[in-house]
Amino acid sequence: MSSKQVAMVIDLNKCIGCQTCTVACKTQWTNKEGQEGMYWNTVSTAPGGGTPKDWEGMGGGFRDGKAQAGIRPKQADFGDAWEFNVEDVMFGGDPNGTVGPMEGDPIYGTNWDEDVGGGDYPNSFFFYIPRICNHCTKPACMEACPRGAIYKRDEDGIVLINEDHCRGFRFCQEACPYKEIYFNQTTGTAQKCIFCLPRVEEGVATACSRQCPGRVRFLGFLDDEDGPIHKLVYKHKVALPLHPEYETEPNVFYIPPLAPPSFDDEGNEIDESRIPILYLISLFGPAVHDSLEIIKHERELKRQGGTSELMDVLISRNWLDLFGPFTTQPKDVARTLEGRGNA
Amino acid sequence: MQSRRVADIDSYLDPAAAVWSSEAANRIDMIPAPLGLQPTDHIIATWENRPYGEAEWADLKSVHDGETLAVHISWSCAKISIGASEGFPDAAAIAFPVRGEPILLSMGSSDAPMHMLQWKAKGNETRSVLAEGIGSSLPGPSVSENGKGGWSQGIWSVVFSRSLNAPENASPLSAGMTTLIGVAVWNGTNEERAGIKAVSGDWTDFILEA
Repeated sequence: MSSKQVAMVIDLNKCIGCQTCTVACKTQWTNKEGQEGMYWNTVSTAPGGGTPKDWEGMGGGFRDGKAQAGIRPKQADFGDAWEFNVEDVMFGGDPNGTVGPMEGDPIYGTNWDEDVGGGDYPNSFFFYIPRICNHCTKPACMEACPRGAIYKRDEDGIVLINEDHCRGFRFCQEACPYKEIYFNQTTGTAQKCIFCLPRVEEGVATACSRQCPGRVRFLGFLDDEDGPIHKLVYKHKVALPLHPEYETEPNVFYIPPLAPPSFDDEGNEIDESRIPILYLISLFGPAVHDSLEIIKHERELKRQGGTSELMDVLISRNWLDLFGPFTTQPKDVARTLEGRGNA
Repeated sequence: MQSRRVADIDSYLDPAAAVWSSEAANRIDMIPAPLGLQPTDHIIATWENRPYGEAEWADLKSVHDGETLAVHISWSCAKISIGASEGFPDAAAIAFPVRGEPILLSMGSSDAPMHMLQWKAKGNETRSVLAEGIGSSLPGPSVSENGKGGWSQGIWSVVFSRSLNAPENASPLSAGMTTLIGVAVWNGTNEERAGIKAVSGDWTDFILEA
């Protein structure tokens, strides 16, 4: 356990699945050779296969404190990088050409089952679930590595892979129950989300957070009682870890999704959420019930003209309030670095 | 086993060279590296019900010319894996004690390290490795290490070569010397890597002919 712990809260009620976070991360961190099919940030439709495909059935993590066997996801489970025939279509002289993958039809990719969702009409439903490395308090990847190549920083709890020590054994991929670790075939090493370490160290929010048009992501330290993370996780108890039963104690938390009411056979609204509570319990554990009740209660308070700290935090009128201590503008850091002669 | 002194070491650097057929083979019994010695609980949990290290034997032959050592190792491997794309490569290693009395199965200790040459089927890569215990292996000093392997009809044959002369932490060898040798092989098809391997349970005496 680290002295301090950075954390993220993702409000699933506000995520519109636009993948801006995915692109922000991709262009910042995984645009080099060997990283073509690598997405340290994904947004998948739930219910669905997710990224990598069917990751929730791949094992790893702990049960009653004991390390569990796990399956190593392959590149095909994440989906290969697709090459498109844009050049041919746009400049190839064929007026009837259509843009498509160049090497046959892809068989899987991130957010493959976009908007498919679950349930039957008129009670069909879906929501988006962004995921990054959870920078767990008990990282199964770190426990699994025989090289000691994975470590958790004491000053902020960020989990990193020392690629100089990594030998590409990939036990970490098996052990991570969230399957958030990739293998770079060019470097022969494991790679994953670094919580935008170089940005965070300069007080800048993670790229996925700053670029989010929906103001979905909150940042901060868990123990900062004035910050949004502490308020959402501990004070109001509405932000929950994904799959707490994996026992790694994730430090990415989610505001569970509210949903409109279901319809009965006659087409009348009934007092039952369109998103089945059992499905949400399967994702966030039994605490999701109380979390949703608290959010609904506070929302009603606000609706009736009352005050609600929780709603004010979730609404986040002031954009920078999302980011706790990480409010520095990237352009200002660039100037600072230039001043130090590091530009 | 003995490393016989020869005049022309170069003709021994190919594992398929005819000269090796006249050298006596020393059969080493191999065992799966003990599960209890695996360095992490995750590895133990993943492999406790899964067979590994099933190579039952390794045949060793060796010659030297007073300057360069060549060790020929062959073992049974039904399906070849060169570690293409995401696969794990077949691999082999030979080990010598550096000083003290390192325990082979626990890959030595800080007081008694061991030096290894590890060959991988992926690109015939051969590395010099220094180990001071399980999970501690680091690049070792250069000993002009080289390796060449060939697979035929279910048998891998690999020749390791290195200079006898070497820094203190790379098991210096010399003609007339008696030391110890250990062996490990990995079956890439079975996703064997790191401590998941077949090993000689203990050291074998290794005598370099004067």
